[in-house]
Amino acid sequence: MLSHFFLMVLYAFLVSLFFAVLWRRTRREQVVLFLQLFLGMVLGGLAVAWLMYPFPSGPPAPIP
Amino acid sequence: MAESGSNSAPRPAEPAAASQVIVAAALAWLVPGLGHVYLKRWRRGLLFFVVIAAAISVGCLLHGNLYRPIAGQFLSYLGTFGAMGMGIPYFTLRYGFGYEGRLDAPGFEYGTAFLLTAGLMNLLLVLDAWDIASGRKE
Repeated sequence: MLSHFFLMVLYAFLVSLFFAVLWRRTRREQVVLFLQLFLGMVLGGLAVAWLMYPFPSGPPAPIP
Repeated sequence: MAESGSNSAPRPAEPAAASQVIVAAALAWLVPGLGHVYLKRWRRGLLFFVVIAAAISVGCLLHGNLYRPIAGQFLSYLGTFGAMGMGIPYFTLRYGFGYEGRLDAPGFEYGTAFLLTAGLMNLLLVLDAWDIASGRKE
């Protein structure tokens, strides 16, 4: 449940489904927009993670 | 007495239409998807409800932050406005269950994103129900 990747995929799934149904009417259009949004978010997130990989993470932030 | 002749074109009563728009928007805010159900978009309303309920559930399971206004912190007001967009679930969680989230929970940040997104998505549903009821959208 606490896997970063799983939560990212779940978030992308819910948001993509929501906007696909909200913004498109026909089933085909909804599927196309869903795939565009879902893949864009997941692959975009992976790309950003890959770009940040060389940078050190540093110590964890203190809990106030 | 109202005329029933063929020459008199049926004219929708404007106050009734306006009230329907307001009722649809209010229902859409109170319960995610209910505005669309009220407008006879059953399947879409049900799907919106499931999606937003799932986002709220995941956010709570992760102990995300349910924003509340904090004096002197302007962003907390924005966050509260976004989270309150989920309607009745916000007040149920806040005042019914005393939910606040746990800052030390591992999923705190993710949970906050899910909860805030649920509220913002429902605000979009309010606008969508408003547009549908007012005839600006199918």
